[in-house]
Amino acid sequence: MAAVKRLKRVAAAQPGFMSFKSSAGSDDLNSGQRKRVNKNKKKNWNKHSDIQDVEEFLDDVRLQERATGGLISEKPDDSLFFVDIGEQRKYVQPEVQEGKKGKKSKSRPLRIDLILQHDSLVPPPKDILAHQQPNAKKLRRIAENAEKLAAMGVLPRRQKRLLNRRPAVTASKSKTAANNFPDRPYYDLWGGDAKETADPYYLEQTGKKRVKRPEKLNSKPSVLPAVEVIAPGGSYNPDFFSHQALLLEAHEVEVKRERAELRIERQLAVNREDTATEETVFQELVEGLVEEEEDEDEEEEDVSIRGGLQQEKKTEKERRRERADKIKSQQKQAARVFTDKKQQLFQLRSIQATLKRGEQQTRERVAQRKANQEAEKSMPRRLGRLRFQAQDLEVQLSDEIPGSLRTLKPEGSVLKDRFKSMQKRNMIEPRERAKFKRRHKVKYVEKRAFREIT
Amino acid sequence: MGGLQKKKYERGSATNYITRNKARKKLQLSLADFRRLCILKGIYPHEPKHKKKVNKGSTAPRTFYLLKDIRFLLHEPIVRKFREYKVFVRKLRKAYGKAEWTAVERLRDNKPGYKLDHIIKERYPTFIDALRDIDDALSMCFLFSTFARTGKCHVQTITLCRRLTVEWMNYVVTSRSLRKVFISIKGIYYQAEVLGQLITWLVPYQFAHDHPTDVDYRVMATFTEMYTTLFGFINFRLYQTLNLVYPPKVTQHEKLNRWVSCSLQKLSALSASLARVVATAEEEEENQLDQFPADGEDLENMEAREKEQKEQEAQNRLFEGLKFFLNREVPRESLAFILRCFGAEVSWDKSLCIGGTYNVTDETITHQIVDRPDIDKQYINRYYIQPQWVFDSVNAKMRLPVEDYFLGVTLPPHLSPFVEEKDGDYVPPEKLKLMALQRGEKHEEEEDDDDDDDDEEYNDEVDDEDLTEEKNLKKMEDQRSQGKTLAVKVTPGKVKPWETGSVGNKVRLEKEEKAEEKRLAIMMMKKKEKYLYDKIMFGKKRTTREVSEHLRKIHSGSSFLLLLVL
Repeated sequence: MAAVKRLKRVAAAQPGFMSFKSSAGSDDLNSGQRKRVNKNKKKNWNKHSDIQDVEEFLDDVRLQERATGGLISEKPDDSLFFVDIGEQRKYVQPEVQEGKKGKKSKSRPLRIDLILQHDSLVPPPKDILAHQQPNAKKLRRIAENAEKLAAMGVLPRRQKRLLNRRPAVTASKSKTAANNFPDRPYYDLWGGDAKETADPYYLEQTGKKRVKRPEKLNSKPSVLPAVEVIAPGGSYNPDFFSHQALLLEAHEVEVKRERAELRIERQLAVNREDTATEETVFQELVEGLVEEEEDEDEEEEDVSIRGGLQQEKKTEKERRRERADKIKSQQKQAARVFTDKKQQLFQLRSIQATLKRGEQQTRERVAQRKANQEAEKSMPRRLGRLRFQAQDLEVQLSDEIPGSLRTLKPEGSVLKDRFKSMQKRNMIEPRERAKFKRRHKVKYVEKRAFREIT
Repeated sequence: MGGLQKKKYERGSATNYITRNKARKKLQLSLADFRRLCILKGIYPHEPKHKKKVNKGSTAPRTFYLLKDIRFLLHEPIVRKFREYKVFVRKLRKAYGKAEWTAVERLRDNKPGYKLDHIIKERYPTFIDALRDIDDALSMCFLFSTFARTGKCHVQTITLCRRLTVEWMNYVVTSRSLRKVFISIKGIYYQAEVLGQLITWLVPYQFAHDHPTDVDYRVMATFTEMYTTLFGFINFRLYQTLNLVYPPKVTQHEKLNRWVSCSLQKLSALSASLARVVATAEEEEENQLDQFPADGEDLENMEAREKEQKEQEAQNRLFEGLKFFLNREVPRESLAFILRCFGAEVSWDKSLCIGGTYNVTDETITHQIVDRPDIDKQYINRYYIQPQWVFDSVNAKMRLPVEDYFLGVTLPPHLSPFVEEKDGDYVPPEKLKLMALQRGEKHEEEEDDDDDDDDEEYNDEVDDEDLTEEKNLKKMEDQRSQGKTLAVKVTPGKVKPWETGSVGNKVRLEKEEKAEEKRLAIMMMKKKEKYLYDKIMFGKKRTTREVSEHLRKIHSGSSFLLLLVL
């Protein structure tokens, strides 16, 4: 406790120290009257002697030693000062100077390195703990044993596993994984052995089994052949009749198209006689206004009224008569049916004839339907919004037929032909190019300059 | 009233179909991705029989897919890759927008891609299935390889298509499978027979390109993606059957090695033979297989097949031993392909393309193919012919006389080999001449006599034969209906002196025998069958009548015809 108090007082005595209880002046020391202290006693040498100046000096010395490597007063003049003569002219003696510079640069270290070197007289303290290892001996012994064993060939398990590991296959990366690069390698797809790696039940249950392709997908979507050869009239040097036949076909197609166009026009056509003339207009206006027709109308009305009135009363007589009539007609009908049946026996031959005719008709219709179905198989099916448009026949007119292979100008595009062929075979649906639709209408605004002009 | 009432459109065909938009939403894909997926997997829209039922009462035209197909699509692993790609695009766009270039590079390096191998395996479980569908793939690949290399579609695709088509052509050359060629105004049609399958494809001309605007390029690109994969695998397998190295290498040829070392260019020259896996087997070696008749086959069929095979082999060697030179204005690739397919040696000017082994000045050239009106320097020991000779010879399966195809001569018309004429149909006179030549050639091979007269007579007989048959049959029918016995009786046969050396007689005798057999068969028919037969013959008669009218027109106005053809 005394030591603590002493420490506190010494600390408080340091200049600049601000104690907690900072009164305007500390009570003990700097308030008016000082307490008298006997400095001759050993007890008071530590407590009440002020060695601040000495401490300062010593601190200074230590600082100099630490920072600048020795007292500055003991350093030679050259290390502290240099004489500033001014800029020196550079002589054009490159070789000699370079040589000198070379030597200097090689022998002399850089100034900045010199500045940054630690040149204090105070050596850094030794870190004893850095050299201490608690079980150095044990570790040394273990290392020596391991070396001996390794020399004999016995390796620890871990190393053995490391050495046995296969080198990681660096996957030759994805630039070659693309599907269509030119030097793509192929292998025997159908000859390779089937990979039955595991139990099929296991594969199925764990979802690793490939799903079977449905049988229907193996059938082709159309009976047409993939490549249809053009008619013999399409040869580059055709013979006369086949060429004419091909021209005829193309001609018929054109005629059909024209007729379709004309049909629309015909449907829209208006008969000239139906147009309104002045007479007919007058008739229409005047209808109902002429008086001659009124008497006829009246007579017709009377008749209808009379008929209606009479029908309301039905007497007993009428009812009895109706009943008797009904029975009679029924009897008559029964008799007729009976005689008809009897007579049918004599009509057997004609009945047979009609039956045969009917059968023949049904057979014909069945055959026709079958033929239609067969024809439909080779027609392109309707697979979407647009209908299939067959391409134009590739035909060259008589004056376009070349004399030689050199002067031949090819007709039609094989790309389009393949595309249409795929549509015809129901592999893709006919589509049109997507139109560019604007969401909002475009607004056109005149520039102010133009508005002023116009 | 409970909850078990049957409601409309809840079962039956209404639940078997699904509209396109609903399917798209079920798969959670954009429309473009959905279409791509459908094309890749081979799922096509269906038109339902009763549209009103499926469309729940309305008749608006909609695209329908089968619900089972869409459910099958849900299991496809590529769907995940599509979604990853969408995310990749979004991230890339953001990185670009924020100008984070390291992120852009990193994303680009890890771009997601997908492979179509399992789809091909699933769609075509066996090799023959794939071979049946190769027509479309071939035409598409040939078409794409002729595209200009602007950025409109990936240049990689075009290069890949070119490589595949060149490989295919080399295979056809090595296996000698080409059968028919037809030059049309659209392009060149080829037909080859590979492993028993007849494959037809169309090759467009290299020049003349206008890209039509109403073709959907994305759809075509997707088809091509699938077809290139399929085609590559088929090529691999085909090369394996012939024991050739794949990817194909050209055998070491000293002259070729001097030039560009790009293997694709060397291959596309089509002038060198391919390297084999097992170098010992020679092309020409053919072991004579023992002839064992198959079950249920008699000796005749086997002999017929043998004959066919021999004919086929003879045809494969059509141009063997001939040396051709192609002039500059002639379509090099097509002609080189065809000529090499039949065993010829071809060369061309060095400035055209690599691979021309010999020059114009080579003395051993037998034919030079020129398309100009005339040529200045002429060598004596070679024929100068127009390119149509090659095509016509291939179609006729024999070397046609060269005189009709000299320079400056008006060519005979190029007939289509894909037309099969039935009896009595119009046969162009050129074709008749051709058939005569074919038969004439055969006769000349067997015997050395001049049988021109017989051949001409036979030509006329072709038209009149049917007419005479009609007459005979009608006579017999009349006699039968009248109840009289026919005049045909079995009489002891007269021995005709066998005139050796005249082949025409033999032919005529054969024909007479056949006609007799036919007459007997007709007499044995029942009344119903006879009625049908009469109907058929009436129709045929009508066509023959029209044909003869046409012929008459030709013979009368032949000069007029020439003018028109030119």
